[in-house]
Amino acid sequence: MYKLTRLVTLTDSASVSALADEIRVLAAAHSAYRQLVAPTHAGSHFGGDLLAHFSFDAEVQCSDFDAALAPLLATPAVASVDGVSYQSGSGGRSDPGLANGVYRVLLLSVDEGTDPALVAHFEAETRMMPHYITAIRNWQLSRADDAIGARRWTHVWEQEYADAGGLMGPYMMHPYHWARIDRWFDPECPDRIVDARLCHSFCAMEASVL
Amino acid sequence: MTTDDTAAAPTVHAIDEIVAKPGEGKALLDDYLARYAPGARARGMVLEQILVSPPMWLDDQSNTLVFRWSLAGAGAWWQMRFVGGNDPDVAAWWADADARAVSRRRYFASDPADVERHCDV
Repeated sequence: MYKLTRLVTLTDSASVSALADEIRVLAAAHSAYRQLVAPTHAGSHFGGDLLAHFSFDAEVQCSDFDAALAPLLATPAVASVDGVSYQSGSGGRSDPGLANGVYRVLLLSVDEGTDPALVAHFEAETRMMPHYITAIRNWQLSRADDAIGARRWTHVWEQEYADAGGLMGPYMMHPYHWARIDRWFDPECPDRIVDARLCHSFCAMEASVL
Repeated sequence: MTTDDTAAAPTVHAIDEIVAKPGEGKALLDDYLARYAPGARARGMVLEQILVSPPMWLDDQSNTLVFRWSLAGAGAWWQMRFVGGNDPDVAAWWADADARAVSRRRYFASDPADVERHCDV
């Protein structure tokens, strides 16, 4: 599966709905296997006003859609865009039929030159989060092939929850997160390998996209 | 959430373990207390204990310094994390400290009796 995610910040957030409609039509015309285009929830951090996420069967479909989408995101109505294109990484689904839940994506940037063994260690520990934090219903951890925006995003960490409470409560407050995983992100910890600038974005979803 | 929402959040311990470069132990301890500790306290951390190993100041070998802080639960931990993680003075302190250390660890822990409550979220 080839995927594309764009976190779009608008100069006037009132135009979210109109832009979302345009993007949905474009994605359908490009035979997106799955798409989620929705305004972000309050609490997103550098997550944009609009979260746009697409899956395609073939790489060429994904790149063609990316090229068609670019002009829509290059207008004066768009203040900035962070995004990635990537091939689906490893994931899991404990609730593939999840409906009317919350989709969350984290874009992160591992420091250039980081020992590949450390990166693999970070990835392996991150993949264990759903094992300990069962509020994470469906998930996927992928490496980015291409990135745009404020950083050279290297990883895409996607999760789905039954509701925003799963993200704000168990995900944030479980010790596996703050006492284990966060050391890769914490500038006070010598194990840190992830840049402090993150894109944390979440929105409502009607059906699972993972 | 915990089954007893009226109970205080279980304590979190933050432990810094610093192996100083030979001869740097005492100076690094003094600087930690002068430059790092005041800000940490302002971020909600309570310094519970300091340990020096071996219990003498070595001038040709490394002393290990251990600082054990407490925080009033995971919420207080995140507050500390967000403020400290975005403070360039904190980052500058650790860059300086790391240059004077052979190695350093920071880890987070709790009383075993609190494990279940920490995980009941």
